[in-house]
Amino acid sequence: MSEGARLWTGRAVLLAALLAIWQLGGTFVSERWISSPTAIVGRLADWLARDLFLHLGVTLAEIAAGLAIGVPLGILTGVTLGRLRNVSAVLRPFVVVMNSLPIVALAPLLIMWFGIGMLPKIVLVAFVSFLLLFFNTFAGARAVDEEQLDALTLMGASGVERFRKVVLPGCTAWIMAGLKNAVPYALIGAVIGEMMVSRAGLGHLVSRAGQQFDMTGIYAGLFVLMILGSVLNEAISLAERHLLRWRGPHGA
Amino acid sequence: MHMSGQTAFTGAAKTGPTLISLKDVVVDFATRDRVVRAVDGISLDMPEGGFTALVGPSGCGKSTVLNMVAGLLKPSAGSVTFEGRPVDGPNTRVGYMTQKDTLLPWRTVEDNVGIAFELRCRRSERGDKAARVAEMIERVGLKGFEKHFPSELSGGMRKRAALARMLIYKPSTLLLDEPFGALDAQLRLIMQKELLELVDASGMTVVLVTHDLEEAVSLADKVVVFTSRPGRIRAVRDIPIPRPRDPATLRFTDAFRDHCAALWDELRDEVAAAMATPHA
Repeated sequence: MSEGARLWTGRAVLLAALLAIWQLGGTFVSERWISSPTAIVGRLADWLARDLFLHLGVTLAEIAAGLAIGVPLGILTGVTLGRLRNVSAVLRPFVVVMNSLPIVALAPLLIMWFGIGMLPKIVLVAFVSFLLLFFNTFAGARAVDEEQLDALTLMGASGVERFRKVVLPGCTAWIMAGLKNAVPYALIGAVIGEMMVSRAGLGHLVSRAGQQFDMTGIYAGLFVLMILGSVLNEAISLAERHLLRWRGPHGA
Repeated sequence: MHMSGQTAFTGAAKTGPTLISLKDVVVDFATRDRVVRAVDGISLDMPEGGFTALVGPSGCGKSTVLNMVAGLLKPSAGSVTFEGRPVDGPNTRVGYMTQKDTLLPWRTVEDNVGIAFELRCRRSERGDKAARVAEMIERVGLKGFEKHFPSELSGGMRKRAALARMLIYKPSTLLLDEPFGALDAQLRLIMQKELLELVDASGMTVVLVTHDLEEAVSLADKVVVFTSRPGRIRAVRDIPIPRPRDPATLRFTDAFRDHCAALWDELRDEVAAAMATPHA
């Protein structure tokens, strides 16, 4: 058996054992508290036949809309302010203080401003991703290699050309680092917003089940969130590997 | 101090009109706690179409001179002129190869080499740009590596890619800072010969900074010896060896050895002085 096959066999055995213990545990502890894998699978099948995709779609739409606003704004602001030495010096303490704020704590404020629909969640996701992209791109723009800029200057490059050909691509690694943080934070922001008050979304599904003491519903909701988070993170890692393939095997 | 060794031979060196002129140039660098004088009163004329080599111990201000000609650094006192006009901003007439290669790591070799053609100021150039990129890559011996990223190349290959990127837009003047320092001895000779052929064919003006006396003598028609910091000019020697030259065989001639020996006499004290001072 190959190394990889052994590894995956081990993982499958561990997963089966854990599920078996969980399933059996229910008969000792009572399924009311810990539910059971079969009940969760049944609930997921039930949801699939009814409105799971509606809730999934709402959460995904909030994340997508928020990222679509926050990411480009964060990149543009970060790279512009990062290249303006004087402005960046003035802004530094503000940036540090904003960075220390747990952004999801803004959720109650945003709900009061924007109501209970999708809008406050979108704003929250946009805000979180804007800040994360801003901080990273800001640092990246300050770290751009001045000698690379000089080389382009001597070839006759204009300021705009230097920006597009050296500064922006030079920030790619930093932008990807920001995105890798922003995507899980976007999911957290959207779900927390939904759990506070909402009419739809995966966070709504989990908190509604909680209010009804529906353990199986909570676990089924968490399972969907786990899968969604894994898919989003894997997508970002794939994008990063493609965009940063020039870094070579040693990440130089 | 402006001595001129072997003035009897100057007739053999290229004597075009003065292209680059430094007059009483002083450069001070402010460090955290004091001001360091890097260059102390240099006056030097370089003719159009000439090949000038600057040699001296490390930290003597050779690279600083290139930065001023490129317009990336202003002298603290004195003047630097190019084509009779003061250099007061980035000098886009020069191609500059710095010690550290400045290839863009996210671009493949061919995208790095062709980057000049993407700039608005050079887009009007006629001819098949893709063909010129391919030809230049072949010329520096990187055929087959067009799609590679700089991180996948050796140090010497990166130098060659940087050379191709500079030569492709045919600047009238080349500023070269230790261009072949990272290459092995054989490759170095090949690249030196390639450079000489390109320069002789195009009539480019070259300013070469090197710590290697033999490289200076085999390539240049004027060698300038700098003192250790603060940099002044200790000696200027014309190298009237006729062109075309082949750096690989030139080194076995008597004339070559005599020039090296004479220059080493000047340089030896300065290297010793540089080693004796802590900041060199």
